[in-house]
Order: sequence, then C-alpha cells, then structure tokens
Amino acid sequence: MSHKITRKMDLNSDDFYVEVEAPLVAERFRAGNFTILMTVPHGERIPMSIMKAEDGKISMFIKKLGKTSRELYKELDTFENVIGPMGKPIDIKNYGTVVVASDLVCGHAENYAICKALKEAGNKVISYQTFPTEKEIYPEEVLANDVCDEFHLTTEDGSKGEEGHYIDLLEERLENGEKVDIVFAGGSLPNLKELGEMTKEYNIPTIVTVRQIMVDASGMCGACRVFVDGEMQLACIDGPMFDAHKIDWGAALRRPKMYAEMEKVALEHCKELGRCE
Amino acid sequence: MAIKPRVPVREQPAEERIHNFNSVPYGYSEEEAIAEAQRCIQCPNPTCEAGCPVNIKIKDMIRLIKEGKFAESYLLTKQDNAFPACTGRVCPQEDQCEGVCILVKTGQPINIGKLEAFVADWGREHNVTEETVSASKEKKVAVVGSGPAGLACAAELRKFGYQVTMFETLHKPGGVLVYGIPNFRLPKEIVQHEIDYLEEIGVDIQLNMTVGQNISFDELRENYDAIFLGTGAGAPQFMGIEGEKLNGVYSANEFLIRANLMKSYLFPEWDTPISVGKKVGVVGAGNVAMDAARTALRLGADEVYIIYRRTMEFSPARNEEIEHAREEGIIFKELVNPVRFVGNDQGWVTGVELIKMELSEQDSSGRPRPVPVEGSEFIMELDTVIEALGTVPNRLFLSRAPGLKTDRKGVILADDNRMTSIEGVFGGGDATSGAATVIKALGEGKRAAESIRDYLEGK
Ligand SMILES: Cc1cc2nc3c(=O)[nH]c(=O)nc-3n(C[C@H](O)[C@H](O)[C@H](O)COP(=O)(O)OP(=O)(O)OC[C@H]3O[C@@H](n4cnc5c(N)ncnc54)[C@H](O)[C@@H]3O)c2cc1C
Ligand SMILES: Cc1cc2nc3c(=O)[nH]c(=O)nc-3n(C[C@H](O)[C@H](O)[C@H](O)COP(=O)(O)OP(=O)(O)OC[C@H]3O[C@@H](n4cnc5c(N)ncnc54)[C@H](O)[C@@H]3O)c2cc1C
Ligand code: SF4
Ligand code: SF4
Ligand code: FES
Repeated sequence: MSHKITRKMDLNSDDFYVEVEAPLVAERFRAGNFTILMTVPHGERIPMSIMKAEDGKISMFIKKLGKTSRELYKELDTFENVIGPMGKPIDIKNYGTVVVASDLVCGHAENYAICKALKEAGNKVISYQTFPTEKEIYPEEVLANDVCDEFHLTTEDGSKGEEGHYIDLLEERLENGEKVDIVFAGGSLPNLKELGEMTKEYNIPTIVTVRQIMVDASGMCGACRVFVDGEMQLACIDGPMFDAHKIDWGAALRRPKMYAEMEKVALEHCKELGRCE
Repeated sequence: MAIKPRVPVREQPAEERIHNFNSVPYGYSEEEAIAEAQRCIQCPNPTCEAGCPVNIKIKDMIRLIKEGKFAESYLLTKQDNAFPACTGRVCPQEDQCEGVCILVKTGQPINIGKLEAFVADWGREHNVTEETVSASKEKKVAVVGSGPAGLACAAELRKFGYQVTMFETLHKPGGVLVYGIPNFRLPKEIVQHEIDYLEEIGVDIQLNMTVGQNISFDELRENYDAIFLGTGAGAPQFMGIEGEKLNGVYSANEFLIRANLMKSYLFPEWDTPISVGKKVGVVGAGNVAMDAARTALRLGADEVYIIYRRTMEFSPARNEEIEHAREEGIIFKELVNPVRFVGNDQGWVTGVELIKMELSEQDSSGRPRPVPVEGSEFIMELDTVIEALGTVPNRLFLSRAPGLKTDRKGVILADDNRMTSIEGVFGGGDATSGAATVIKALGEGKRAAESIRDYLEGK
C-alpha cells in the first residue's frame, strides 16, 4: 500500500521536512514512538522519529545522508510502507520541571513531540534546540517554541539565539542550583553520552534516544541491541529511549557505523541511476 | 524381486550453485517421479503414514503418481497438508515419513519428500485447484502471524466460510518460509503462490500490523469471535559471552532476514546491506546454522565454518542440508565451543576463542553431553560471526497479552484442542511449542481451525 507525501520542504541545506498520509500510525502515535519507513519496494526498512501526528498524517525531519534519504528528497512523492508506531512511548506524566534538548535532526523532531506531550501532562517544560550556526536553524513553524513553557534557541557559534551547546547552557543552570526533575534528549550520540556524564553529577534522571541500526524493529533480529546496566536490551521494543547513565556507550557509538562502506556503494549506485544527488 | 535404487534427484552442481540463490534440487520430471513411485511396494500397513505428523495418505499419493494421475494425487495430498510444495522440500523426512518407510532397511526408502514436492509443483504449474469456500458465515476470526501455522489455519477457516483477517508484523507474509529459509532451499514463488491462493479465497491479509504494538490484543478480542495465535518463536538467543557487542557479530535471524526478506544478495539493486567477511564462523549446527553458512558462502565468503560443540552425527539439521553444505565446501569444526569473541581497536570482530569439548554421558535430549576440556582454549581467526543458537517466542507480544499463560521460556500453553488459557483464543506452531517444524505448524494450524469451528458453532 503506498502512502502519499502531502508536504515536503527544506529545513536547511541538509535537512528536510516530510509529511505523509499514515492514518494508522497517526492515530496511535505517542511521544517517544518512531516509525519504520520503506520508501520503495526494494528499499531498506529505516527508523525515523515522528515530530507530530495530526489529521491522519505524520511529520518527520530527515537528514540527507545516504541512498534512502537522498532518493526520497529528489524523486519520491510516495512511501511504499509507513509502519508503526514502533518502540515504547515515554512515560507521560507530571514530573515537575522537565528539560527537553536536541542538537540534530531526529532530536529536533522528538523535541517537539515530547514537549507537547509533557506540557499537556502539566509539566513545566523547558526546551533547548541547538544548531551549529544561524544558517542551519529550522523555520520557526517547526520548532518547539509554542509547545513548551520556556524556549531556548541556541547556536554553537553564537550567530543567533543564545551562544553555546545545550549541554553547557544546562550545566550553567544546574550549577546555579536550579531544580530540574528530568531531562529528555535526542540527537548526536556522542553528545548524548556527554550529557549523561554531566547530569549524572547532578543526579538528574536523563532519558535519551539511542539510535541503532534496525531491521524488523519488532524484536526478531537483535540488530538494535544495546547494553543497559549490563543487560542486553533491544532499542526497537525496549527503547529507543534509555537511561543515559546506564548505557554502554562504547558499543552504542560503534555499531551504527557497521555498514559505512556499503552505504557509500548504495549512494554511488543511486547517483548512477540519476535518482540521488 | 530386488528393489531398484532410488531415482537420483538432479541438482545444480556445487561449484555453480555457490554463486547463486536458485534452488539446489531441480525436482523430479514426470518420468522420474513415476519411476520412483514404482519402487513403492504399496504396503498393506503403510508405516510411512504413521511417520508423517499430519498422516498424509502417502501410499495413495504414490500410487496415483505411479498411475500418472498427478492432479488426483495433488488434491489427495492437499486434504491433509496445505503446503505440500513446502513440506516436500523442508520436512526432516529421515526422521519422519522416510525414516519409517519399510524400505529403510535396504538403505533406500522411497523419496517421499521429493514425490510430494513433485505433485505439488505439478498441481501449481497446471493450475489444479481445490473446491473452495463453503457458504459464507458471519463470524469473524483474527489470525495473528502469517507463518505456516497462521496460513494453514486461515485457509481452513476460510473454507469453513468464516471471515478471516490475518495480521502480520512484517511487510511480507509467510513467516520463516519467507524471511528465514533461503531461496535455494525453498523458492519464494512457491510460498507466494500459496499466499495468492489465500487472498483469492478471501482472506484479508493486513501487513505491517504488530498485534500488541500497533493494534492491541484487547481490540482483537472485542472485534473478533475467535483468535488464532501463530506468532512463532522468532526472537534470537545470544550466547551471552564477551565480545557480542562487536561489529560483525550477527544473530542468524538478522543475517537471514537481511539476506532473504530484504534480499541483500541483490545489493545494491536492493537497498539493504549485509556484511560478510572472508572467513565466517557460524555457531550451531541446526537447519538455521546450515542456512546461514550456505548463505554466507553465496554472498562471497572464502571460508565458512560450522562451529559445533558435539559431532555432526548429533546435528539436528536435515541430512540433505548437511550433505549439501559439505558438497559446497562448508567446513565442520566439531567438538569446540566459543568462550569469547575477540576484536580489534575499531570494534570489529577478528576471531573467536574456542575451547575443545569431549562427549560424555547422555543428556536429557538423548545425545551425549559435551564437556569442555580444561586448558584447551585456542583462537580461530574470523571476520564475521553468526550465532545460530535457536530462537524463543517474541516477548513483545507476550508482554502485551496479560492473562495468556506461558511456560518459563514464553511458549504459549495450549490444550489438545489448541485452546490457550483464554477462552476463544487458540494457538499453534512454534508459538505453542518452541522452535519446531513447518509440518507441525501446518498441522496445528489446521487442527486449531477445526477447534475454532466447533467453538463457534457450539457458542
Ligand atoms: C529510533 C531512530 C530514530 C531516527 N530518527 C531519525 C530522524 O528523525 N531523522 C533522520 O534523518 N534520521 C533518523 N534516524 C536515522 C535514520 O534511520 C538514518 O539516517 C537512515 O537510515 C539513513 O538512511 P540513508 O540510506 O539515507 O543513509 P545510509 O547511507 O544508509 O546511512 C547513513 C547512516 O544512517 C544510519 N542507518 C543506516 N541504516 C539504518 C537503519 N536501517 N536503521 C537505523 N539507522 C540506520 C547509520 O548510522 C548510517 O551510517 C533514526 C534512527 C533511529 C534508530
Ligand atoms: C532459518 C530457518 C530454517 C528452518 N528450516 C526448517 C526446515 O528445513 N524444516 C522445517 O520443518 N522447519 C524448519 N525451520 C522451522 C520452521 O520454519 C518453523 O518451525 C515454522 O516456520 C513455524 O511456523 P509458525 O507459523 O509457527 O511461525 P513463523 O514461521 O515464525 O511465523 C510467525 C509469524 O508471525 C509474525 N508475528 C509474530 N508476532 C506477531 C505479532 N505480535 N503480530 C503480528 N504478527 C506477528 C512473525 O512476523 C512471523 O511472520 C526453520 C526455521 C528457520 C528460522
Ligand atoms: S508432510 Fe513431511 S513428513 Fe509428511 S509425508 Fe510430506 S514430507 Fe513426509
Ligand atoms: S512404507 Fe514405503 S514402501 Fe510402504 S507404502 Fe509407504 S512409502 Fe511405500
Ligand atoms: S531491529 Fe530487529 S530486534 Fe530490533
């Protein structure tokens, strides 16, 4: 069954926005869930975070990386399969003061969804969205500014918004004795590791998205295994969000690179067909 | 009268087939099938039939082949077995029908498997169809999982006239027949033909639907008059030893799902990559291990090892697979067990530390228990490791179906009528027995359909 793409737009020169008809996924989506996409019948099954689910459609932020994302950007107006919602939603309840932070495409999508859900649950929601420079900042309509109580747009070089990465800005606040009950974050894996190291010192529970390579996304292959507190967990059914303080980061950072060489081959092949840029 | 030897099965030569994923056996021609059928002495008390888990009328199936009545033979077989083209190819015949054929004494039992596959292929190629759906009934049944158990149950229920909706997690139906068993053993068009038939008779197949995840078990219970659980035992087990986090360490399930379901062997025409080094080690020696090893070879590995803690005579794999693997150059490393996997500083696996094993007294499986020989550890260099250690039921579904009783391993308990601990919820196949066989799943699916009919009519 093919799913119609109803809107596609550039977020910056690397990332783009896609809205697609997927009533079953939209109806059941809860913050923390993700979707599995197949763009074409011979395509890969790839996981994608969901920014919002409304009117039978879901919206996603996608980075132009390899074959799948680039062909989607250039050529496609449908998806072969949009599957889900997959994964465990976050525990949506009133924690008190919540920080939601992101510094990369998938994290920004989750930032919006998690802020919205936690604000509706009565939390004081503080959102941080960090971009490298002014050039990469997304259009305001897709930022989390209207679904949180306190919004911080930051750039690492200070060209717009507050200057600095969210990890440093958050640490400053914690140093000043501000009370935060829990942190949710997504984006760059090395940065999530660093965030965990920082919040551990302040004893603040920190739940982060551990992006791992997935195939079936239903617990049948073990590709997405992560090690949490010494136990093997499957990111697709037990996650994808886990306690940053308990993750074996060495393995989690390494495993996503397993197919780097083959991904280049796939992209070259797509370019030869004229379907990728 | 001396019994003639078995009619040999023509096969792709080993040196050719290790470069492709096409079927290894070519199957019998009509003449060959008749000649093989003529060897059957038509026993007054055919022991072969008792050896078949679904008691196919093997003697008559063979007699009809001998008489050239292929369509009749096919339809007769179909009465007991929904997918003879599959079972003829994948049943462990030496432990079942052929193992108890009277001629086994001569070392040359009738090749029942290949005869069954022959009539089934003949029926498919000649569009022979059975009578189909009886008067339509209103009651609705949900079938969860589209492996052999679910497919057999759905076909039978539909023939009884019920409205059947089948839910499948993956984007393709067929269960292990599609995602696990490679094309060179079970060509996918054969499975597709059976699925097309199901759709023709009106089974509604809902793909990309994981019961318990994107549709709840309670919703099914509210909306359907009965439910059949054919969710299989598809979750991989890992050894739990050091080094499993390294890149290049696969579960057999992941390796086979990539290769078969996602067609990695056609990369980059198909998008999903698979990583196969020059030296591949497969831990385990069952059918799954043989499939993974032979797949790795076809994907370009130079050397493929089966790493097994017993000796091959105790391997649970089908004889034909072991034989084919041997012909293809798979190397059997017997009486060794992994202690840990070793890797380089980039986090890729570079080898396995093995410990030598000795066979001691029999264990509960009736096989000798392997015991490690102290101090015998050594390193074997490898670029890819595939763990084929058996599978268990998927905990995702079980965690979302409270009230469903299981054993410690998550195997769903079902009574003789295949009803589970929840009224109106039935189960069969690997979900209710742990990893077993295709024919057992087909048999239980069919049996469950009969129980569901009795349940619905008695209601
Ligand atoms: C839970 C989760 C949420 C995600 N959310 C987003 C998102 O919101 N936006 C976004 O752009 N990306 C997201 N990703 C990553 C996304 O799946 C990959 O970027 C995508 O697969 C790239 O495909 P490609 O063919 O374009 O690139 P490729 O060249 O194939 O891959 C580029 C990189 O993407 C990762 N990747 C490749 N295949 C897979 C796979 N099957 N599963 C997971 N990762 C893979 C690998 O790290 C790889 O090195 C998410 C991943 C996970 C696990
Ligand atoms: C590689 C391999 C080789 C094998 N070789 C042989 C052989 O040669 N001979 C032999 O007889 N047997 C063999 N087997 C075993 C045989 O395939 C199984 O016993 C048989 O397939 C079991 O059938 P099933 O219908 O119970 O389950 P499966 O075939 O496992 O099908 C279960 C289906 O249910 C789906 N599912 C699971 N949970 C859900 C859910 N919550 N919602 C929706 N769908 C769900 C799964 O995606 C799957 O498609 C082999 C197995 C493997 C893995
Ligand atoms: S179904 Fe299997 S056991 Fe039964 S007759 Fe056919 S090959 Fe033999
Ligand atoms: S036991 Fe063997 S010889 Fe006898 S009827 Fe069965 S297949 Fe024929
Ligand atoms: S993706 Fe296969 S188990 Fe998670």
